[in-house]
Amino acid sequence: MTRPFLGFGLGLRTEHYQYVLENKPDIDWFEIISENYMVPGGKPLDYLDKIRAEYPMVMHGVSLSIGSTDVINKPYLSRLKQLAERVEPNWISDHLCWTSVDHTNSHDLLPLPYNEETIEHVVERITQAQDFLGRQILLENLSSYVTYKNSEMNEWEFLNEIAVRSDCHILLDINNIFVSAHNHHFDPLDYINGIARDRVMQFHLAGHSYNGSMIIDTHDHNVCDPVWDLYATALKRFGAVSTMIERDDNIPAFQELESELRIAENIAKTVLMPKELELGDVKITGAA
Amino acid sequence: MSNLQSIQHEFLNYLLEKPSAIANTIISDDVSADQRLGLYADAYKLRLKEAMMTDYEQLHAYLGDEMFDQLMESYISRYPSNKESLRYFSQKLPNILKVDQPWSQAVELSELAVIEKTFCDSFDAADGELVTLAMLSQVPLDDWPTLRIKFHDSVQELSMTTNSFQIWKALSEDAVPPAVEKNTTHWVIWRNDLVSRYIVITDVQASAIKMMMAGSSFSDLCESFLEYYDEEQTPQQAVGILQSWISHGMICELLTE
Repeated sequence: MTRPFLGFGLGLRTEHYQYVLENKPDIDWFEIISENYMVPGGKPLDYLDKIRAEYPMVMHGVSLSIGSTDVINKPYLSRLKQLAERVEPNWISDHLCWTSVDHTNSHDLLPLPYNEETIEHVVERITQAQDFLGRQILLENLSSYVTYKNSEMNEWEFLNEIAVRSDCHILLDINNIFVSAHNHHFDPLDYINGIARDRVMQFHLAGHSYNGSMIIDTHDHNVCDPVWDLYATALKRFGAVSTMIERDDNIPAFQELESELRIAENIAKTVLMPKELELGDVKITGAA
Repeated sequence: MSNLQSIQHEFLNYLLEKPSAIANTIISDDVSADQRLGLYADAYKLRLKEAMMTDYEQLHAYLGDEMFDQLMESYISRYPSNKESLRYFSQKLPNILKVDQPWSQAVELSELAVIEKTFCDSFDAADGELVTLAMLSQVPLDDWPTLRIKFHDSVQELSMTTNSFQIWKALSEDAVPPAVEKNTTHWVIWRNDLVSRYIVITDVQASAIKMMMAGSSFSDLCESFLEYYDEEQTPQQAVGILQSWISHGMICELLTE
């Protein structure tokens, strides 16, 4: 069993368009926010095409609302598919959450109750989405701040079960595990060890902020040391997984993010053998 | 209604500041359910406000923080988002400012919002190959009367009743805006070479652009010009305006029957 390994990437942000085109930085790939390019034309798509011509890309969405109880949003899926035809991404991801209901959008990644009713509902919708897009998708674990009383299992059991039953992949956000572990008092290592090896296709890394006794997933700071430690643990369990750093606020110069990405690369070089970090399809080892 | 439907409905009500039973479904521990839910409510409003502040930067500067915040609060509570992208959340704002009290009393507010919205729309309007002057010169003589044009999707004509454009320009240059004056002016905003542009145009040019955008033909244009020019000048003036639009990069297609 193998997974494609793209190496080490960054989120493509408007602040860096010009720098990327002029300097062609040594980044293996970029992740784009799909919705930012669901526009008729102009600069966003022009830069997208130019940068895509130089780098591999993956698409990461925030509005699939896969857990919503509204009817699945076919017009959105059509626009997503159309964008994918333009970008030809290595994969498309979104979040295991809901963002809209009653045709009203919260513009937030809202958590789901972890129970059988939700699993059945979400698996059915992932199947619809994958059939429509003609490809498997990746779903990302959230940072969350609430736990529903009617949850019947841990988040990682819920995520695994959905990935296996719907045959989708997992985008494992290491920072989100850290944030949610703090907010909900679980051991992040239990989470990492509970996720199926063969389902994980991508890692996210990011920074966060403290709000009283809670941690908020703000993507406005550098990755902190405990998250780097967790990343090293995740590499040991999952092997080489395409890794990127998300930064959405307080965005620094590109070179600063590039340096941060080198930290991720160096950790991977410490944990894994050089052969394991060769780009292309990598073998998934160990039991599920 | 399923449990999941009910949870989502109640959660959304909570975000929209409507009566909600969502707190009963959330575990309280060292942090209460209300505190936990409050993080989502705060983030919801903050995100929408950030989008509005980005889209209406000069209107914000003109109104000041306090009044712009009142406007945002009112807009957010009355017009929840039904779009996937925040890019389109505040599209109704110019119209709201035009018709809703107390904002409608100051006409320049709606006009400032229209200017900023039009720049946003022009920024990512659909691309299109531009017509050149050489292409216009190749139109056969017989086709001229029925000639129609397709403007680039970014082209928009704005008719203002105050000096709102001067106010907008001053604000965007961090200068003190002039006092409001009644003053009918016409403007065109469009995008060329990926850059948004604007020019002031005359009443005649505004009327011409409106006609041609609505699908009128070159002969219709000439006929309308008879109001302003004598018969001899009219064709030359009408060709001149077409050439000017083409030179500005506003025309995508020459449509002949």
